Amino acid sequence: MIERKRRKRSAQTADINVTPLLDIVFIMLIFFIVTTSFRKELGVDLDRPSNAPIQEQKRSEVIAVRIDATGQIFVEDRLVHAGAIRANIVSGLASKPDATVVVIADRATDSGLMVRVIDQARVAGAGKVSVAASTP
Amino acid sequence: MRQISRRKPDEEWEINITPMLDIVFIMLIFFIVTTSFVREPGIDPVRPLAQTAATKERANILIAVSSADQVWMNNRSVALHGIRQLVEAARAENPQSSVVIVADQTASTGLVLDLMDNVRAAGVTSIALAAEGVDSL
Repeated sequence: MIERKRRKRSAQTADINVTPLLDIVFIMLIFFIVTTSFRKELGVDLDRPSNAPIQEQKRSEVIAVRIDATGQIFVEDRLVHAGAIRANIVSGLASKPDATVVVIADRATDSGLMVRVIDQARVAGAGKVSVAASTP
Repeated sequence: MRQISRRKPDEEWEINITPMLDIVFIMLIFFIVTTSFVREPGIDPVRPLAQTAATKERANILIAVSSADQVWMNNRSVALHGIRQLVEAARAENPQSSVVIVADQTASTGLVLDLMDNVRAAGVTSIALAAEGVDSL
């Protein structure tokens, strides 16, 4: 050992000791491997208008989808079957191409139903979907 | 060249760790970049199905609503009016993060909408409702 050290100094080729660096790098690597979660959350985007005074939208620019407390769905005040929401919104969009779909749900309904209606509206091609709670 | 010839009589071979270091550093950088530190809300509700469900980038703030209408965030149940403060704190840590509300499909719509209003009051504009992709099943 002494022999080697002495000889190195004389040769002027001192190696940098990388062992502590490696230790730190490995510890960081293990930390990041353990904490990484690759699960990506899937979701539907929606627009939630504020309760503050909003500018009144013309009826012609809105397709209203109401969900009442019993889970019945009304597209433009017409009772529709859950499977027919999409077709109704498609026909609504045909007459008003740039309309916003407004989902007005009763506060007591399941949120799953609301998500389903929003999803159907998006599948139907609605550009903007906003949600509101019906006033009790 | 001089070094090699000097080492040989020494009979003391060292393993060259440079390629290993390269790989370890590349892995380290990869994991640093991809880590997003998602705080799990604490419960795993049944998400509604949606055909248009898209992957949310930077969805670091997760708020869950259970079927019994309890709001969960950061592994504990919180009151509805306490959400704003928690979201503000989470935003201060990572200002680019957006909020995903993981609502159980039987959670009440009124609570989910109130929750959205509270999140918006904390200054978050991009809010999404979590859903299960139809084709991912």
